[in-house]
Amino acid sequence: MSIQIVNVTKKFGNLEAVKDVTLEVKTGEFFTLLGPSGCGKTTLLRSIAGFNQPEKGEIYFNKKRVDKIATHKRGIGMVFQNYAVFPHLNVFNNVAYGLKARNFSADEIQPKVSRALQMVRLAGMEDRFPNQLSGGQLQRVAIARALVIEPQVLLMDEPLSNLDAKLRVEMRSEIRELQQSMKITTLYVTHDQEEALSISDRIAVMNHGVVEQMGEPWEIYNTPVNRFVAGFIGTTNFFEGTLISEQGGQGIVQVSEIKMKVSAHSPCVGEKVSFAIRPEAFKVAQEITEAERSCFLSLPGRVNKVEYLGFMTKYDLELCRGLSVKVVSYDVLPQHLRKTGETIELCYDPQRVLIC
Amino acid sequence: MKSRFWSLTTILIFLIFFFFMILPVLNLFTGSFQTQEKGAFTLQNYLSFFHYPSYWRSLWNSILIGLISAAGAMIVGVPMGYMVSRWNVMGKSLIVTLSTLPLMLPTFIAAFAWVILLGRGGIITKFLQTWGIHIGSIYGYPGMILVFVSQLYSYVFLMTLSGFSAVDESIEEAGCSLGSSQLRTFWTVSLPLVLPTILSGAILTFMSAIENFGVPMIIAQQTPNLVVKAYIEFTSEVGTHPGMAYTLSIFLILITMASLVAQRYYLSKRNFIQAARGKPKVKQLTPGKRLLASGIIYAFLIFTLIPFFVALVLSFMEMRGPVFYPRFSLQSYVYAFSRSARPIFNSYFLATISTLVAVLIGVPTGYILTRRKSAYSNALDIVIMLPFVIAGTILGIALITFFNQGWIVLTGTWVILVLSYVIRKMPFIARSSASILYQLDPSLDEASISLGVSPMKTFYKVTFRLMMGGVVSGAILSWVTIISELSSTLVLRSPSWSTMTVEMYQGVVSDDLGKAAAFSSIMIISTVIPLLLATKYFSKDKGGGILL
Repeated sequence: MSIQIVNVTKKFGNLEAVKDVTLEVKTGEFFTLLGPSGCGKTTLLRSIAGFNQPEKGEIYFNKKRVDKIATHKRGIGMVFQNYAVFPHLNVFNNVAYGLKARNFSADEIQPKVSRALQMVRLAGMEDRFPNQLSGGQLQRVAIARALVIEPQVLLMDEPLSNLDAKLRVEMRSEIRELQQSMKITTLYVTHDQEEALSISDRIAVMNHGVVEQMGEPWEIYNTPVNRFVAGFIGTTNFFEGTLISEQGGQGIVQVSEIKMKVSAHSPCVGEKVSFAIRPEAFKVAQEITEAERSCFLSLPGRVNKVEYLGFMTKYDLELCRGLSVKVVSYDVLPQHLRKTGETIELCYDPQRVLIC
Repeated sequence: MKSRFWSLTTILIFLIFFFFMILPVLNLFTGSFQTQEKGAFTLQNYLSFFHYPSYWRSLWNSILIGLISAAGAMIVGVPMGYMVSRWNVMGKSLIVTLSTLPLMLPTFIAAFAWVILLGRGGIITKFLQTWGIHIGSIYGYPGMILVFVSQLYSYVFLMTLSGFSAVDESIEEAGCSLGSSQLRTFWTVSLPLVLPTILSGAILTFMSAIENFGVPMIIAQQTPNLVVKAYIEFTSEVGTHPGMAYTLSIFLILITMASLVAQRYYLSKRNFIQAARGKPKVKQLTPGKRLLASGIIYAFLIFTLIPFFVALVLSFMEMRGPVFYPRFSLQSYVYAFSRSARPIFNSYFLATISTLVAVLIGVPTGYILTRRKSAYSNALDIVIMLPFVIAGTILGIALITFFNQGWIVLTGTWVILVLSYVIRKMPFIARSSASILYQLDPSLDEASISLGVSPMKTFYKVTFRLMMGGVVSGAILSWVTIISELSSTLVLRSPSWSTMTVEMYQGVVSDDLGKAAAFSSIMIISTVIPLLLATKYFSKDKGGGILL
């Protein structure tokens, strides 16, 4: 089952929460709407579920228009941020709820519920009531409840945001595995970019009600189309300067007091250029090979701050007055660790510069 | 379609309150400025009020007794609430249950029983006299304050208890960590945090005391308060002054309204208590101290329940005129059932009908207040607060005056009794429904709908099921308080629609104490049994439902 969203606009009073959004979720795809709070991602999800009625546009499930159909007839499964597990029903009856609405007989319900609970690793918990369950278990019940009705489309509204960090990481890979094994078309909403990158087939990054960029996780991360996407996904150093020379697709940009190399389609000499470099695109000190040193411009940086994280070290380096960059080094040899005040040589491949 | 249904419901609720409460009360207001015969404008009633001491003293009595009772309730309720919250006293849930009983049991039964014990010919009074000890008179201020403090202290106690139990442990620890001693932390951190809650309880005590009718009727004698004075002016056989009754009513409404405004808009904005993350530590007392603290609390609880034991015991004793003889007898009950079976039926009938209607209107109102928020629902929120500031007697006077003539004549029918009960109890049902709905996550409805259940069915299968416990316990509380309602009933009843409370009251007034005791006992049992059932089956919102 695929989902097509065509020119959908949803207003709340004068506020356009979703502005003319068009996108398609392919059959069996895990598609994520990613964006900061208030960007319209949940509103769009709720339009697809039918909890709000868009002012403009159309929504199709497999070419069949659904936006005028009542929610309970759309054949969706939904998982909510705050679980929404019925407190007056035990685990079994929570999961059986949708099956009963579909008039399955008790004989059919029993094995279906058991299988669903096994799938979310809650077998044996049938008689527990929600107040006896932990947050993670509640969310598993909610997932089992949504999956047991074999929905055409699974909608998930920030399902992990109420869980603690460790559980969140565990649960997201479980969700991904379930989705893969059932091949169910899934639309997932989150504000957590790491979660989105790790779990999705494709991502739509939203801001102020519009889709800024759509693509596979690596595309979104490596080739952000604009400054918002570059800044929202991961950590990035932004630079602004003037192009002073250009030769064979390589340009030199004067940024404050230093010169930096950029690659590719630069504008004309003398024009302003803004670009971004990811912290891990920099190489520092011992990591730089002789070839790189001769080929790329290397820069000296004074260490302002060191954040030692074990498997990596984060540095704040001052390139010149008023120009600092964040750099990540995976060189964890103790003798290579630099201290505040020392100077480090750093270097980057101009291919990894993002012009924006 | 769906939204039209709710708009129509909102309008209907408005109309009910407009016709059956606001118009009658406005009519009182204009009536207080009119002459009795011609209806011309006059200030005579207000001039008389300030001229004759018997009038302005009744205002003074109301305020003073209300204030002393509230202060007394704080003296008892605050330490008790603190002890139950923070110390390991024994049987905490039993303490809470026993403390809610006096709030539910009819206060005038307590007044009646204390008169039997300590009044002029009282059992204890006489006993002490044989030893040459003379206690002062219980009539007037001492008796009223005794009854009000012992019956209404729970407002303060329960509020204090919930307040001190909700102070986050870490806030007190922060106080101590900054170098403040435990005692100083109590005075500078804990108490200021809980104080608005305590004062809310004190205001509830104050309002209940000044709106109370039965207690001063039985025990006030030479110091009548506003309610009693208004009732007498309205019904006196010597010659009624309805205009004066209206004027006295207006003064009472002004006081109660000011109290409610203080509580809702001043204190509730200063409510610092949030859901505690860390529950406050319970101090483990040494066995001796624990026994002592528990003993004091239980002794007081028993003291507050003495009147009801007395009424029960007396109802099984033999009576000759106003004198009891210590012999077992069912004579009072035989008398009650044979001569006054109708009022017993009336009480149950009226309470049941009124409760059903109150639930039928109150639950949708609670839904509108929480789930259909709009300018209208805000207005509705204020309108349903009004019955809290109108004492039963005053509402009774307003209704009987307004529906005495004109297009709808209800005076003398059972309908007018039901009306007054519904108007007064429906806000409780609406509030308790609203508070349940506040706690229900709207995404529960959405989850059900997303699973293929239609919105209508969802309301029945999810929302209604989850509300039911709270609604049923709210309904039981309403039913119980209607059974023991005296103030508006005494004004509105007609000879064929008398109730147990009226019979009991007339028994007291005409010195037919056996009848009074029998009816008291039937009422006590009719109150206690449903309450016990309610706490057993719906123990989740123990006590909370009866507070504003």
